[in-house]
Amino acid sequence: MTKPLIEIDHLVKKFGDNTVLNDISETINQGDVIVVIGASGGGKSTFLRSLNLLNKPTSGKIAFEGTDITGLSEKELDQVREKMGMVFQQFNLFPNMTVLENIKLAPMKVKNATDAEATAQALALLKQVGLEDKAEAYPASLSGGQMQRVAIARALAMSPDVMLFDEPTSALDPEMVGEVLKVMQDLAKSGMTMIVVTHEMGFAHEVADQVWFMDQGVIAEKGTPEQIFSAPKEERTKDFLSKVLAQ
Amino acid sequence: MKKKWMRWLTALLVLLSFLGFSGINHVQAADDSLQKVKDKGVLVMGTSPDYPPYEFLVNDGGKNTTVGIDISIAKQIAKDMGVKLQIKSMDFDLLLVGLQTGKVDMVISAMTPTSERKQSVDFSELYYTAEQSIIVNKADAKLYKDKDSFVGKKIGVQTGSLQADLAKEQMSSSPQLGLAKYTDLVLALKSHKVEGIVAEEPVALAYVQHDPDLALINGKFTLDPSENGQAIGFAKGATSLVAAANKSIDKIKKKGLIKQYMTEAADKMTTNTTDTSMIHYWKYFAKGIGYTLLITAISVVIGVILGTLLALMRLGKNKLLHALAVAYIEFVRGTPLMIQVMFVYFGLGIFLDIPALLAGIIAVALNSGAYVAEIIRSGIESIPVGQTEAARSLGLSQKQTMQSVVFPQALKNIWPALGNEFISLIKESSIVSIIGVTDLIYQLKVVQTATYKGVQPIIVAMVIYFVLTFGLSKILGYFEKRMKHDEATH
Repeated sequence: MTKPLIEIDHLVKKFGDNTVLNDISETINQGDVIVVIGASGGGKSTFLRSLNLLNKPTSGKIAFEGTDITGLSEKELDQVREKMGMVFQQFNLFPNMTVLENIKLAPMKVKNATDAEATAQALALLKQVGLEDKAEAYPASLSGGQMQRVAIARALAMSPDVMLFDEPTSALDPEMVGEVLKVMQDLAKSGMTMIVVTHEMGFAHEVADQVWFMDQGVIAEKGTPEQIFSAPKEERTKDFLSKVLAQ
Repeated sequence: MKKKWMRWLTALLVLLSFLGFSGINHVQAADDSLQKVKDKGVLVMGTSPDYPPYEFLVNDGGKNTTVGIDISIAKQIAKDMGVKLQIKSMDFDLLLVGLQTGKVDMVISAMTPTSERKQSVDFSELYYTAEQSIIVNKADAKLYKDKDSFVGKKIGVQTGSLQADLAKEQMSSSPQLGLAKYTDLVLALKSHKVEGIVAEEPVALAYVQHDPDLALINGKFTLDPSENGQAIGFAKGATSLVAAANKSIDKIKKKGLIKQYMTEAADKMTTNTTDTSMIHYWKYFAKGIGYTLLITAISVVIGVILGTLLALMRLGKNKLLHALAVAYIEFVRGTPLMIQVMFVYFGLGIFLDIPALLAGIIAVALNSGAYVAEIIRSGIESIPVGQTEAARSLGLSQKQTMQSVVFPQALKNIWPALGNEFISLIKESSIVSIIGVTDLIYQLKVVQTATYKGVQPIIVAMVIYFVLTFGLSKILGYFEKRMKHDEATH
């Protein structure tokens, strides 16, 4: 039996009068790879950022590994966030630190790892993402694809239980998208639970266990990639897919 | 007493008393001012030592020593009381404030007991009465006979002085230029910004004797015998101190000691001016540099700590702390540093006896903190929110995020602005000279007074300030480059 990792219960998020997430209740099981698709402004990013409470829900509950995290203090949240790695569209590497320092920072500060431990782990992760030769480089000298792979390695350094990807390839030049998706695909194969907001339909098709289509603040339709891409039931899903696939 | 400052300080004192502070009023039913001085064993006199032969500074074995007729008189008074004499220097304009706030027990600074001044302080009897003269350029000496020859010509006076009042009343058709220092007035005379300077005869003589380009004419002013002359100022109600001083003055007059004091002062002035090269006075400037750097360095450190704290308060979620920080920053930025210096020294000085140097450092540091706070705030706000989000998503706490991610980047961004603030501090700290802190500006005035040379000390001080700020600018530039280095490793 699969174990629920994240349980979302009547999640609502409003920015002022604008309801961005409208009563979402879903469960994400351990090992799931979920790809969230949908038009811009549909609430995908807000949904993802609500899961680790970078955005605080207006109402509703989110349980992570069985614990409701919506009522936690900032200090308790820090401990939850360690276990939820996040990768951003804009990479958000720390420009004042080398690649190695970027990856070592959180293990050393939060987990009190020694410099030697953190370095060994960081180098192993860099090897995993194919960038072991960039350990001493500063982010400004890397390409977008390289920066995003470092960002993934940085998130993995905290040994998270789930990885959240917020449009990880949207800011990349087309020729660099492949190298990042490859790393993510390998990660999925290794059994990591992943929630990926993306416009890469090929990736969704190949890697996802489930595809969620978000529209106007709700999960309008969900299913296996085959169900969503070959036989969408909802009119708005068809509409969206025909626009995206026509490109 | 310059009226502008008087108004400010009165307002300040009124404000303080509104806030519920007491102890401003030193008047007590039974006057114990003399007993108090005797108890502490020290008589503190305030003076503005830029007025030879009454009070001026000499280089006594490398040390600044205040000497002159007034100092000799003060020594005699202290001796008669059986206490030690301590001299506090400050701008002439601030002397009466010093009295009112208890910074000094008496003021001897060739001060004339005008009826205006009598309203705020008590005076001893006159210890000296002098004629009023006018200093002119020697080349023009034939053009002027007395005060009436200056119709339509600009005349120089020391601000807040008896001479300023006299000129206003009896030379009403001559526009006035008021400056705080006689050395500056002489400069104005030589560059024909004014055509004459009204000064007391001994003072005028001192300048004329040391400068062959100057000449002296008798002003022939009509003088009120009760107001013409010098007396010692005391806090209102300090009758026992006044009585003690009067006793000493009587003795000095009876023995004819003033004449002797004058000769001594003249001797000291001659030794002062035997070598007027700037090199001879290098120790003065060196001491000034030392104090300027000391004040700046301490203020920078305190300013950065305070500024960081204020910036975090302002950016934080706590509404009370936020409001406090905003109020502090706005208030400090909205009031002149000069007023803040006076507030700390005289205003807070009522409750705490803060030495001038410490008061200066406190004021400059508190002032700098407000500016640094705004620089740091802008630096923190310049860091994209994604940096914070990335750090927090890794499990770093708010504090760790600030320390390891946001602050180091912010520091790099604000470095030029911070550097600018530090360079301004070197220059702006010069304002502490008004309360007698011996910084570079103060020493510049000392050298001007001692050498009767106006321009050269200014040039020396200017060059020194430039070397200091340029040096600092270079050092800051070096660190800026080092911080940029992380982006240059392509």
